[in-house]
Amino acid sequence: MTDRRHILLLLAPALIVLGGLFLTGLGLTLLRSFRYFPALGLTQPDLAAYAAILTTPGFLKSLALSLWIAATSTLIAAALALGAALVLRQTFPGRAFVSFLVQLNLTIPHIVGAIGILYLFSQSGSFARLAYAAGLISGPQDFPALTQDPFAIGIILLYVWKELPFITLILLANLQTLGEDHEAVARSLGASRWQTFRHVLLPMLMPGLASASGLVFAFAFGAYEVPLVLGAYSPKALPVLAWQAWTDTDLATRPEAMAMAVVIALIGLLLLALVARTLNRGERDAR
Amino acid sequence: MAALTLSGLTKRYGGTSQAALHRLDLSIASGSLTALLGPSGSGKTTTMKLIAGLIAPDAGDIRLGGRSIRDLAPERRGVAMVFQNPLLFPHLTVAGNVGFGLRMRGLPADRIASSVALMLSRVRLTGLGDRRPGQLSGGQQQRTALARALILRPDVLLLDEPLSNLDPSLRDEMRQLIRELHSETGITTLVVTHDQTEAVALADHVALLLDGRLAQAGPPETFYQRPATQAVARFFGGVNFIPGTARAGVFDSALGPLRLPAGIAEGAGLLTIRPEALRFGPGPNPLIARVEGVTFLGTQSRIDLLAGGVRLQALTDPDAASDLVRGSDVAVTLPPQALWVLPSAP
Amino acid sequence: MHADRLRLLAAFALALWMILPTIPLVVWSVARGWRYPDLLPQGWSLKAWSFALSGKSGVLESLALTTGIASAVTVLAALIGVPAGRALGLYRFRGKGLVTLFLLAPAVLPGIAIAFGLHGVFLRLGLAGTVTGVMLAHLIPVLPYMTLVMAAVFSRFDPDIEAQARLLGATPWQTFRCVTLPAILPGLMTAALFAFLVSWSQYVLTLAIGGGRVQTLPLVLFSFAGAGRNDITAAIALLYILPGLAVLILTARQVTGRGAALSGGLRQWPR
Repeated sequence: MTDRRHILLLLAPALIVLGGLFLTGLGLTLLRSFRYFPALGLTQPDLAAYAAILTTPGFLKSLALSLWIAATSTLIAAALALGAALVLRQTFPGRAFVSFLVQLNLTIPHIVGAIGILYLFSQSGSFARLAYAAGLISGPQDFPALTQDPFAIGIILLYVWKELPFITLILLANLQTLGEDHEAVARSLGASRWQTFRHVLLPMLMPGLASASGLVFAFAFGAYEVPLVLGAYSPKALPVLAWQAWTDTDLATRPEAMAMAVVIALIGLLLLALVARTLNRGERDAR
Repeated sequence: MAALTLSGLTKRYGGTSQAALHRLDLSIASGSLTALLGPSGSGKTTTMKLIAGLIAPDAGDIRLGGRSIRDLAPERRGVAMVFQNPLLFPHLTVAGNVGFGLRMRGLPADRIASSVALMLSRVRLTGLGDRRPGQLSGGQQQRTALARALILRPDVLLLDEPLSNLDPSLRDEMRQLIRELHSETGITTLVVTHDQTEAVALADHVALLLDGRLAQAGPPETFYQRPATQAVARFFGGVNFIPGTARAGVFDSALGPLRLPAGIAEGAGLLTIRPEALRFGPGPNPLIARVEGVTFLGTQSRIDLLAGGVRLQALTDPDAASDLVRGSDVAVTLPPQALWVLPSAP
Repeated sequence: MHADRLRLLAAFALALWMILPTIPLVVWSVARGWRYPDLLPQGWSLKAWSFALSGKSGVLESLALTTGIASAVTVLAALIGVPAGRALGLYRFRGKGLVTLFLLAPAVLPGIAIAFGLHGVFLRLGLAGTVTGVMLAHLIPVLPYMTLVMAAVFSRFDPDIEAQARLLGATPWQTFRCVTLPAILPGLMTAALFAFLVSWSQYVLTLAIGGGRVQTLPLVLFSFAGAGRNDITAAIALLYILPGLAVLILTARQVTGRGAALSGGLRQWPR
């Protein structure tokens, strides 16, 4: 058997299963978004669904909100993760315990974290009670709306909590592979601690940081259950809006739901391309 | 340019009772090319990291040109280090790597560019400035690393095993380049190596570390002619050690009385002679020895001998060895000027 | 020593932030009456736990179902993903980058982008609303993870050792069982345990494909959360964390050693 056939045989089950599920799912979404649905008598594909969602203010607001959520959470989580990785890289008493908590967090389902954040930050949550006990507020309505709020602060808090460990662990693994020698060289070449971080460590961590951030962005942009728990009634995060359109009793909104799913997929693919590029570049540099 | 002086330098790594480096005293003359030699675990890399400031000593001082640099941050010591692995920054071009230190000092870009171009020509990398480190050969990477350190005109240049990652064919070229750059710049250079032939070929001064202590320091030939201890002699390939007593210019041992060169201390000791210094045929200090074995080694042959119950080893050219027959007796001489007496092993 | 103090402080803040959201869950789950603005409940009770663990709540049933789905998905993913990982880890071939990208895509793309279309496909195949359908849907985010982790594992595997075994008289099957499998087992265990967790955490695919008829734990959790029963919700939420905790302890050796298998896999960690 030639190598080529051997490789193909090894890959075939994965390609068939993933291709079958993923491509048909994506393909049907695409068809329906063009309002092609013979069973309902729709045989002329058109762009009406896209036209419809692009002209509704609700969709654009939701899109903007989801981009805001994803961008802000990714930025904050990445910055904090960088700090956390630098702290956890050194030895100090209790490091094993902190590392354990960071890893534990990775295994907790998002929905559990979302409920925890809700119980902490809602207007009748733990912090509101603490504020009341401290005499800072006189009732729930005085506590700032941190969950189910228009700025999606609760959602962002959840992602910062949940994605910080994810990025931190990737950075720690990268740091371990890199070792400390490049930094030692930089110091011996006259770079200060800060210069070493800025001009050597950070650029070398960048491929890992960028690809991890890309994955976080994609997730924060497209997750449904988190904004469902922590999001405001209006505007809704895009996945929640899409779900609502999909489950609407009025079947006419279905193509619009599909069109929204296509928009979400497109942004996901864009991020995938970005992640693939940074990973490739990282590998090329390392060679 | 400045002399480097280490005094009482001691380093222990966490939890170990044995010091990685024990009270090292060493003076490295300004502008010299010194090899810091030792087997792995002898403390030579520790010494280098202490000088570079990458680790802190437990005791002792490091002075550069009369001023203590012990408590200075690595970047403020005027000490540049080239690691065994070239450790080029993968995200920068070759020129970016070479110009790194100047950029850290905040020099303007055009001055960095001209310095880099000059430096690249000196290490014979002209035209490769735009390459990525990954696109260079091992030798080119090593030269880039060297240029990156030299461009800063450091007071002291530390080279950690600069030849060990290279193919044998490239070693000569790199050795040549290091000697050339050293004589051009006159920078005090310390080369760490575990290979005694490399140390001798490269440096004009050698310091040998064994078990975290300085065993001997001096010009390369002294390690062959006048080793300080049996361990030093063994490290440099010494194999013949004959116990006995030196008295009035004569060494008494199982081999009978042997004439010694002038200036050898009297008393009990170990007579040593390098295997390549043994001669076959008549001459001073003659012996009759039995040939126990002849091993062809390529450019040389090794002859195992037994004389008066003492095992001796000789190295000679293969032609001379061809008429030696195993089991036969042969005349051997130990030329007095090749003899040296070590203090008795404790 | 200023920097050391700062580092300890940062580490403490990080640890606190990590456990913070679980604190109200623990307190709620054993609270008896906890009204605003009380800082602590009026009393303590295990009623929420005993209800959650009784037959009435449906939690146990759902726990068994979720475990069953996640286990089956993990086994399926291993059967498909190990060969694919071997191809990607051991060989260089034309189009490898593209194949990798294609295998990575389902993990990066949000589940909701595929869920609607997949539901339509499954509806036609009679898989919508069935446990089988949900398991197949879970393969979409799980399989990429399994494949890419195994690719990382195989990239550090020397196939010459298999040739050596064959030359010593082992059949292909014996070679796999006695040589290859033991070599990849630690990586496979890590991949399997985390694959389990990825399936275990799915919400939107289960909801869309199962159509509410396949009641896994997150769906049950959601219905109690929606009903405003904070105490029961908290108890179920904590139950929902347990497998993750178990996995972490099981893989502790690999995880704390920061095995490259995990780091390679984490790059592609799908949620």
